[in-house]
Amino acid sequence: MLEVRRLRKVYEDASRTVEAIRDISFSLGQGELVCIVGPSGAGKTTLLKCIAGLLAPSSGSVILEGQTVAGPPPAMAVVFQEYSRSLFPWMTVHDNVALPLKHKKMKVTRREELVRNALSAVDLAGLDTAYPWQLSGGMQQRVAIARAVAYEPHVLLMDEPFAAVDAQTRADLEDLIRLLWHRLRMTVLFVTHDIDESVYLGQRVLVMSHAPAVVMEDVSIDLPDDRTQLETRSMVRFGELRKHIYSQIQRAKQGWRPPGM
Amino acid sequence: MPAKPAHGRVHLGARSLAWLEGFGGLVGLALLLEMAPRAGLVSPHYLPPFSAMIVALFEEMKSAVFWIALGATMRAWAIGFIISVATGTVIGILIGSSNILRMLTRSTIEFLRPIPSVALIPLAVLLFGSQIESTLILVVYASFWQVLIQVLYGVQDVDPVARETALSYGLGPWAQIRYVTWPTTLPYLMTGVRLAAAVSLILAVTSEVAIGSQGLGKEISDTQAGGAVAIMYAYVIVAGIIGVILNLLARALERWVLAWHPSMRLHIVEAGE
Amino acid sequence: MSDTGPIRPIRSLTIMLTLPAALVTTWWFISAGSQNFYFPPLQTILQTFLKVWLSPEALQNVIPSINRFFVGYLAAALLGLTVGIPIGASRHVRNLLEPMLEFFRAIPPPVLIPMLILFTGVGDEMKTLVIVFGCIWPVLLNTVAGVRALDEVLAEVVLSYRLSGFARLWYFVLPGASPQIFTGLRQSLSIGIILMVVSEMFAASNGIGFALVQYQRTFAIPEMWAGVIFLGIIGIMLSLIFRAFEAWILGWYHGLRRSQREN
Repeated sequence: MLEVRRLRKVYEDASRTVEAIRDISFSLGQGELVCIVGPSGAGKTTLLKCIAGLLAPSSGSVILEGQTVAGPPPAMAVVFQEYSRSLFPWMTVHDNVALPLKHKKMKVTRREELVRNALSAVDLAGLDTAYPWQLSGGMQQRVAIARAVAYEPHVLLMDEPFAAVDAQTRADLEDLIRLLWHRLRMTVLFVTHDIDESVYLGQRVLVMSHAPAVVMEDVSIDLPDDRTQLETRSMVRFGELRKHIYSQIQRAKQGWRPPGM
Repeated sequence: MPAKPAHGRVHLGARSLAWLEGFGGLVGLALLLEMAPRAGLVSPHYLPPFSAMIVALFEEMKSAVFWIALGATMRAWAIGFIISVATGTVIGILIGSSNILRMLTRSTIEFLRPIPSVALIPLAVLLFGSQIESTLILVVYASFWQVLIQVLYGVQDVDPVARETALSYGLGPWAQIRYVTWPTTLPYLMTGVRLAAAVSLILAVTSEVAIGSQGLGKEISDTQAGGAVAIMYAYVIVAGIIGVILNLLARALERWVLAWHPSMRLHIVEAGE
Repeated sequence: MSDTGPIRPIRSLTIMLTLPAALVTTWWFISAGSQNFYFPPLQTILQTFLKVWLSPEALQNVIPSINRFFVGYLAAALLGLTVGIPIGASRHVRNLLEPMLEFFRAIPPPVLIPMLILFTGVGDEMKTLVIVFGCIWPVLLNTVAGVRALDEVLAEVVLSYRLSGFARLWYFVLPGASPQIFTGLRQSLSIGIILMVVSEMFAASNGIGFALVQYQRTFAIPEMWAGVIFLGIIGIMLSLIFRAFEAWILGWYHGLRRSQREN
């Protein structure tokens, strides 16, 4: 479904060159939910933007369904971290969700149906005439998720979407993502700095090193598919996985890198 | 991770590049103004070459007429500006600090404020002819509202918690104004000052053009009527430069005060460029 | 005090009218027996107002003025927007043009009147063009500022959902820059009125400014005072129309700001 091949991203400005990403390769199968976790400043957002086609990589490539990504592909949707800034304040919730669909050729009835379904899937049915700034942070992020979901993407990219909400809302939103993932059978790539979140959500967790970033490890999360905040997080296996990833990240912070990178 | 320096390319900082581009733009404009009349694209009667304007400017600067006119404009501007800022601030703080006064005066302010200053021209001419008092009527009437409105916003923006704290410490009205109202109002006042500075200049020159009061506007009007076109443009350039200088000074002042009030940025957007 | 039923709006209305009513009444009575040539009784002024400025003849002056104003103002707004958007979108174009534009904007607008007389004489074109040339700068520069300050996250959202060209302009750029654009439109409104009046004081053959100058020169004092009031009313009406339009277009923005202030 999605393949990242030897991605490299170097930033150059007036005074210096910064290698944000040195060499990242991984692949995502159809219907997988994979998390990317790494220390702050590791270039996770850069990676996501390259995958989304918002940034051009310096070398290497991103291949979506067999085609190289050269700009934002129609089969992808992104949910950003800053929810209040990612919604149009001059449009209602309904119009915000409907806007990307207006430019995919489809009948009005179909579009309305998608909007309606998306809003009820995120539990916001009935709020479609509200404006984003009338809603709480968690609800705004739900609108952004609804917008992405209504778009019927093949791959959903999420860039630390719950970093700026409170813990309780975060827990609700995490469960929402898993629910939507199950229901709509999407392929999801979820970037986060929260280790617990990555273990709770993902089928696999890609641990990133510090900049220049590489994938340190591809951890398989062998927790049961049916996850709840209370039970899953208190499982022994959860603690083990968490500890393992945490120690990897600690090593990354101390400058450890995989051999040859 | 160590960052490698970029080799082999001259990298200008973004800001230096911006300045260079801006300067380049001005040079380009000057060249255009020089070439267009010479090439016959525009009649030199209406638009003399840029060099002719500059020459005329330097010639004018040698004569007393120039300095008298410039002085007259600046004098009218300064007096009107200071009167409007002073009265606007004082009245603004007085009205703003009292709920009753605010409610009573609101409709009057909203009614008087959009009345164009130029409506007073005939009155001013009748009463004071082309003396400076006419100009001052126009300038003060227009600029006063700019300051008043901003100061009213400022006083209303005072944090009610801060105000109550001051009351509970037994601070009298003067102390309240000094320690609570004034710091909050100051950035708004700076915006009002910036707007008043611009408006004062506009109305001062309006008076000179419309009424014939002494100043840059009158010189521009006279030189146009007399056919001394290059000199007219020289005065226009001077008027523009004065406007730019006043604007830069006002913005610098505003930024300096703004350094303590980062939340004011959105307010600046609304008050305008 | 409890505010129930019809009492609250009546009280608001009373408060609103108290000071204006007091001022007008004071003016009326102070000027009632006035022998002063320059300050006729308010009663006379109001009577003259009804007779002169609300008569069909008055329309011959008022309509051309308002016409020129609207044509000039709307042309300036359209031009300012059309030119301002591409300038605001490109950093290099902005850097190149901004100093020059700021200079043009700093030239006090009335100065344009003699300049334009040079190019186009004292006819109708001059009066309309002068409004265009005077009003364009605040709109232009504020449009540039507004486009420049568009939210980067939102710009990425637009990019990621592949909205481009007209859609990007209509759904993102214009609404996003509109609060700042309206600030420019508001400033241009005042400048337009100044230019409309003053340009007509220069050898015009019709117009509100022309009439005012005639009355003043022929010492038709009550007519002149009435004209001052009339011009004031024009100013107020234009301001009200503008604010109504702004409230309609920027309703979302006022709501947004209100919710930000309350947090």
